[in-house]
Amino acid sequence: MSDNRLDVDTLVVGGGIAGMQASLDLADQGYQVALVERDPSIGGKMIGLSKVFPTLDCCSCITTPKMAAVAHHDNIPLLTYSEVESVASNKNGFVAQVLRKPRYVQEEDCTGCRSCELVCPIDLPDDENEFGRTSHRVIYVPFTTAVPQTALIDLDHCIYCGKCIKACPPDAIDFTQQPEHLEIEAKTIVLATGYEVTPYDAKKEYGAGKLGNVIDALMMERLLAPTGPYGRVLRPSDGKQPDSIAYVQCAGSRDLTLGVSYCSRVCCMYAIKQAMLLSGALPMADITIYYMDIRTFGKGYEQFYQNAKTMGIEFVKGKVARITEDENQNPVVRVELIDENSRVAERTHDLVVLSVGMLPGWNPQATFGVPVAEAGFIQIPDCNVSPTVTTQPGIYATGTAAGPMDIVDTIMTAGAAAAEAAAYMQNHKEQEPAVPEAAPAMRDKRSTVHA
Amino acid sequence: MKTNAQTRAPKILILATLSGGYRGADAAGQSQLEYAPDTYILPVMSAAMFPESFYWRAFERGVDGIIVMYSGTDSPYKGAPEKTAEIINRTYERMKERGLDTQRLRLAAICTVCVRPFLKEIRQMNEVLDEIGLVPSSLPPAREAQAEPG
Amino acid sequence: MPDTTGEPVPAEKGQVQPQSASPDEEPRIGVYVCHCGDNIGDVVDCEQTAEALGKLGNVVVSRSYIFMCSDPGQKLITDDIKEKGVNRVVVGACSMFLHEQTFRQAVSRAGLNPYLYYHIGLREQDSWVHHECPEEATEKAIRLMSAGVAKARLMRPLEPVRLEAAKHALVIGGGVAGLRAALDMARRGLKVTLVEKTHFLGGRTAQWEHVFPTDEDARTLLRGLIEKVLAEPNITIHTGAEVVAAKGYVGDFQIRIRQQPRGVSDDFEAVEQAIAACPVEVPDEFDYGLTTRKAIYRPYEECTPAGVVIDWEHCTRCEKCLEFSNNGGIRLDDAPHEFEINVGAMVVATGFRPYEPPQGELGYGEFPEVITLPQLERILASDGPTGGRLEWNGHPIRNLAMIHCVGSRQIEGVHKPQPDGNVNDYCSRVCCTATLSAANQIREYFPDVNIFDVYEDIRTYGRGHEDYYLQASENRITFLRYVAEETPEGVKAQKGDQQPRLGRVKDHLTWGEEIELPVDLVVLAVGVMPSPVDDLVVVFKISPGHDRFLLEVHPKLRPVETAVTGIVLAGAAQGPMNIQESCAAAGAAASKVEGLLSQGRVELEPYVAQVDPERCQGTGECVRVCPQEDAIHLETFSVSGREVQRAVVTPANCNGCGVCVSACPNRAIDVQGWRLDDYEAMVDALTAEIPALEGVV
Repeated sequence: MSDNRLDVDTLVVGGGIAGMQASLDLADQGYQVALVERDPSIGGKMIGLSKVFPTLDCCSCITTPKMAAVAHHDNIPLLTYSEVESVASNKNGFVAQVLRKPRYVQEEDCTGCRSCELVCPIDLPDDENEFGRTSHRVIYVPFTTAVPQTALIDLDHCIYCGKCIKACPPDAIDFTQQPEHLEIEAKTIVLATGYEVTPYDAKKEYGAGKLGNVIDALMMERLLAPTGPYGRVLRPSDGKQPDSIAYVQCAGSRDLTLGVSYCSRVCCMYAIKQAMLLSGALPMADITIYYMDIRTFGKGYEQFYQNAKTMGIEFVKGKVARITEDENQNPVVRVELIDENSRVAERTHDLVVLSVGMLPGWNPQATFGVPVAEAGFIQIPDCNVSPTVTTQPGIYATGTAAGPMDIVDTIMTAGAAAAEAAAYMQNHKEQEPAVPEAAPAMRDKRSTVHA
Repeated sequence: MKTNAQTRAPKILILATLSGGYRGADAAGQSQLEYAPDTYILPVMSAAMFPESFYWRAFERGVDGIIVMYSGTDSPYKGAPEKTAEIINRTYERMKERGLDTQRLRLAAICTVCVRPFLKEIRQMNEVLDEIGLVPSSLPPAREAQAEPG
Repeated sequence: MPDTTGEPVPAEKGQVQPQSASPDEEPRIGVYVCHCGDNIGDVVDCEQTAEALGKLGNVVVSRSYIFMCSDPGQKLITDDIKEKGVNRVVVGACSMFLHEQTFRQAVSRAGLNPYLYYHIGLREQDSWVHHECPEEATEKAIRLMSAGVAKARLMRPLEPVRLEAAKHALVIGGGVAGLRAALDMARRGLKVTLVEKTHFLGGRTAQWEHVFPTDEDARTLLRGLIEKVLAEPNITIHTGAEVVAAKGYVGDFQIRIRQQPRGVSDDFEAVEQAIAACPVEVPDEFDYGLTTRKAIYRPYEECTPAGVVIDWEHCTRCEKCLEFSNNGGIRLDDAPHEFEINVGAMVVATGFRPYEPPQGELGYGEFPEVITLPQLERILASDGPTGGRLEWNGHPIRNLAMIHCVGSRQIEGVHKPQPDGNVNDYCSRVCCTATLSAANQIREYFPDVNIFDVYEDIRTYGRGHEDYYLQASENRITFLRYVAEETPEGVKAQKGDQQPRLGRVKDHLTWGEEIELPVDLVVLAVGVMPSPVDDLVVVFKISPGHDRFLLEVHPKLRPVETAVTGIVLAGAAQGPMNIQESCAAAGAAASKVEGLLSQGRVELEPYVAQVDPERCQGTGECVRVCPQEDAIHLETFSVSGREVQRAVVTPANCNGCGVCVSACPNRAIDVQGWRLDDYEAMVDALTAEIPALEGVV
């Protein structure tokens, strides 16, 4: 990599599971791949999850090796804490202008030893990983398994006390660091920009985020994770161990009042998974899932759902109309119980988890000229046969950038996007007259059919 | 030869094929199903590589029961399961000759998702060992067909 | 005859000499105990385990860490190799199937031979199964890891078997998944051979007319895809063909293919007369048995390849068609043709078949008015038996019931098992949206038809799928909900009543009321089952899962690979998938094959038999018992002027089954990496009074 220019085959935008897998699939074929990630670490949403359905593998165990494989692959220059600002086309493909945000820590020198964290006097809530439930210092390594293990400084909150400078063994701290610009030339681009979740205060009927013991599923995911804030499941308002936990499905999906008509695909399974983990962590707790339809459609998913029923998790068909709270801050769920003659009931729980949905993460139209379709996900014109091909030749979409999907489906589309990009580049190479192996005669031939 | 305190729990050695029993054991783990901890599982490509002397030697070292979890008809190795069964049968003969209860050695086909059969084998071996006791601390010397050089 | 040193030096293709180990090198073992977050650490005392292991001989460093697999975890190992001179590594963590490779790569990065690494599964085989007894679990961890240390002392560096790889892939199945995978690989520059069992390309998609979520015409979709495939000079297609035998390994599979003759030449003109002359009538599988066809037939109009074929299974050789066969246009004596190809890898895209309800399930097979959704799709198709008119047995349909989850989400004890004793306990994924798509289509073209949709859960999960559900409600389709334990029943029409009834639907949307629906047609939204692949499972040694679909290595880490390196899955052979998902899976499969073959060589694990020429006495026992072809043979060598026989292994043909190991009377042969000495040392460690255990338990 020269100082401010990089010439690669493919630019992959986004370092979550989709971007990592697409990068690996291309790099394993011998292509050079620049992986650009906005956050200080790759791993995306997946690295923050506790366990994955339906195998209940620890999510770190699935994600960290991919992260390590990306970090160590000879064919993948990795650019974290970087953003693609603009993209232009040229005869070879694309030229992207990439902003490398300053960490105020020299990436090459930092060993991730965290000596700086120990001396930094300022604590900040860690919104990105712990959803405000834990804190980090102004100088910090993003999380235990982050790749790269490089510290960064949140300059907005720094008081410039200089303690970290003194404490850093390799003298890696550099307050004079400036944003840098890098030009990446690439023949193809894979967009793996991911999703966001429904804001947890989106729905006023569900308390608009003001009820202390109504949390969203990502918060529960952190409560359940081994690296989570308390190491066990406690409800936020008073730290009490909940005896009765309810999941409200479709809290942000299939809900026209929020302008979201689509199904987010993963919420049924993650709710069931969390319910199973909760019944392990809190064997005495009652767990209820309020749902409209249980959509356990993937391989092994229906069996997972049936197991959850056998374990005693209660599934109640009904759309939750409203959540309020009683004087003890216990959430009260108002629901039409369809299986009980559609009786409307109010049921009190200790903790309610909103099964929030997936929203489009980022609109690539302005930067990449790739339009989005309904609901803001990337438009895929020939979605049946070419599920990763965007309207722009040479630009492909994978994972949740093209609509809600789970990890398995994401990995599939990542492989498909890699195959499309590889085929595009091969074709491009053959069309270049300078390449002798282009074998123009072959172009006129067709496949051989032996019927 | 170590002496075995009578108070210890029976020690079970499991030879589990990577294409069968070893994955079955992993599947039991993923289902978080409990079994006796004094159970030691060693991964093997195929159990056909172990001669009779191996089993005899393990008993001498104080292993109370051995379960060979092979892949049976699912084996990716043509001819290996038959060979395994042949060796185990010969070992039974030798055990009988020398008065060692043949129930201490079991051959079982365990597949990658055979969680229940996996647990059942361990439970049954523990029941057998509870009944017949630990392996005797001195066994009649094995007739080594192959002298061990070195 | 090879050289005279007594050391066999084979040099043929596929043969490698193990890199000479440095047996004199003193083992310096690094031991690492992973907490796996709290997965191991909650039960096993990892610090104590590490401390105990540190006391063993040859162990120079012993540590525990929260996530050994993470980058900082791996760095602990690589730093110890570089700085502390560690030359053997033992990690106790999750299953070896998850992370053995991760750590092998890590030690390799630090300059150590990757096979000087041993992995112990402390999570799946200790902490997760001994929650109740943490002390014993800790002792077990120490013993298992001390066995690992015992093996580590004996480990030698190994080199993978390196093989030339044919840049040629086989695709089995010519449906959308197979076509798409073939196209992706061919466009990338691989040579592709595609075999399709039937006589036409397109698979099940050809039998559909209207596909979601684009509402496009399936034939147009297929034509586009097939055109692209036909335009690829790298692709060779064989229809009416199937794999009958296979041998070899990744990089070099030899595949035997049998192709049925079509029996009719391309330029045969009197097609219609020949068909008319044929006296045989059999149910037409293309119309799912709604119509019949002859033994000489055209699978469907505009099929690819075009033209008619003979159905050899049903042809009686009456020769009536030959009357129109000028100059041998029809050849009834053509024999199947067998040939062999060499490929480096293959994609299994054998697809699915619809569930066939047993006689009597919801009245199927008892009442003619009960049909399946694929049959309804044929009725709605413009080239179907009614030309697209919604009628049955000549009567227009006015009231229609569609029942979801027939042959899916079955419950043991409630549903009748399949002939193999299994129930389909999985969701078939595609039927909800397909059913609603058909229902909306009917409401659009035949607005007078009433539709009842009887479901358990509506699973319109995909992008654009929910719109079909919303539209169905707008289209005034009446939804009734049942629960699996109270499956609806089909009942016979009352006397004098022209309609059959769908009886006893216990509707959970209206207070559990039992309702009888007077309808003319009951459509069962039948589930998806894998195409029969028993023969391929045997030929390729791949495995089906619980649900009888072909099994992937790991649903998340490696979702398209099988346990056999070089064989990958695409589409509904692996599980229910729609067209879009099949095409994505095909792309992922193609990527994997490209990753394997694009470099023109593959590397295999070095776990093959190795002869110790010092001990080998040339008895030939190993050659006699070896079940593999050409894996081991005797050669004559000259040792100190004397001619002797010694066994020689061909690593590319050895699969490491170890049959030779137990057979050798001189203990002269071992499987590299899994030697008998290793196991004996491990058993010793497991049974030893471990000094390290003192003070622990």
